[in-house]
Amino acid sequence: MKMMDTSNKNLSNRKVLVIVLLDGPYISQYADIGYNMANTALKMGYDVKIFLYMDGVHLPRKKQDPSILPNISGNFEELIKKGCEIRACIRCAAARGYINESDYLKKVEITSVYDLAEWMNENSKVVLLGS
Amino acid sequence: MSSSLIIIDKAPYGRENAMSGIYIAIASLDKGIKFDILLMGDGVYVALKNQSSDKAIHYPSVSELIYSIFPNGTLFVHLASLIERGIKYEDLIEIAELVDGKTLYNISKTKKHILKI
Repeated sequence: MKMMDTSNKNLSNRKVLVIVLLDGPYISQYADIGYNMANTALKMGYDVKIFLYMDGVHLPRKKQDPSILPNISGNFEELIKKGCEIRACIRCAAARGYINESDYLKKVEITSVYDLAEWMNENSKVVLLGS
Repeated sequence: MSSSLIIIDKAPYGRENAMSGIYIAIASLDKGIKFDILLMGDGVYVALKNQSSDKAIHYPSVSELIYSIFPNGTLFVHLASLIERGIKYEDLIEIAELVDGKTLYNISKTKKHILKI
């Protein structure tokens, strides 16, 4: 029982990196930069959460084939496998035709900007990338 | 309790940034998180009075939307950005609070999170 309490305490005190992405794929390098930051933070033991806002909601779309550029959805799939949480703003997603998660990679959730507000707490560092 | 600031430096209507920045502030304040907005650069146009975007271009008026942060959130407007653009204090909505560079520095020191959209 004692061990369990310690473990829970450690979990609640874990540092969290929150990355907010505003740009769509390929229009800028921000998604790649966000991916690299997330990957490094995960390796360093951080919890990583990505919030997709504005055109950022296009990023986790399935079946992307950018030919000569790094495939953003492939990179995001890798982050999800490593435990990264990815959520998209429902207002932004609905405006762009994503009415549910079926167009998205598995485990990407469409939620509200209130989730971002909750993620911005004492344990987190927030980085907003976009133009 | 952590307090955060969002900096809006883009004009309203040409891009989605201003409206989206205001929504982040509103959501945080609704959750009981202290959140302020700072308008600087072209972002100062957000605080202009008498905007009629709803009639002219069918966009919601950001200056009306930004009232939603009041009274728990503060709307700071960067004085130098205002002067550079020839905008007077009386051209702004009532909740705008002017800040100079030094005040801005002191405000930023008190913030846990600072986002620029």
